Amino acid sequence: MKVRVLSTKDAPSLLSRIIGQVLGGPAPIMAIKRSQIPYWHERGWRQEGRTYRGTYKTAYGSFIGRIEQVRPGNFRLYIFDPPRDVRKHRHWTCFQSQGNGRYRIHMSRMPDDVSSGILAIERLLTEAFEGR
Amino acid sequence: MKKLSVVVAGTGQIKDIEIQPGTTARDILDQLGLPDYLLSKGPNDPFFAAAESVYDKVADGEKIFASTKAEVGKASGRK
Repeated sequence: MKVRVLSTKDAPSLLSRIIGQVLGGPAPIMAIKRSQIPYWHERGWRQEGRTYRGTYKTAYGSFIGRIEQVRPGNFRLYIFDPPRDVRKHRHWTCFQSQGNGRYRIHMSRMPDDVSSGILAIERLLTEAFEGR
Repeated sequence: MKKLSVVVAGTGQIKDIEIQPGTTARDILDQLGLPDYLLSKGPNDPFFAAAESVYDKVADGEKIFASTKAEVGKASGRK
């Protein structure tokens, strides 16, 4: 025997369902709390001490990155295997090869926080892909 | 009037605001006490210019980002 009926019950009539809804009132509103997390965390970066690891994400692809905080407000930004399009960008000269596909990105203006640094690189990558 | 959520990138703090037609990026940043920040719709969009009207470029209920100024370049006085 493959199926065994344990019990049966009648489906509620349309009338009883309507009355039930009226008497029960609307379902209670549930307030969803917004998460307030830094951009680097939201983008999946991980922090180990003063080093942040993750990917610079664009609509055209994601690229491995690392950011080291030298001191508050001073960071070293890296990208690994930057896309070919960046090599045509006006800021390509600011990417210094350090071997094994790692490039240090020189900043003429330091971001005040890691999140702003990630945003700046993601924006630059997008510009490069879009030929801006 | 449009409602916006401004996410401060560094902290994740969200500031809910309501703007009128003609409100510029500078108006928003000044009133939020973030004069050294820049506003953008996200990493795939350019920064709003200080005098640019944000109202026309955003939808009601949209989330935008405030981040500190950062530029890729050779010379830096803060390295």
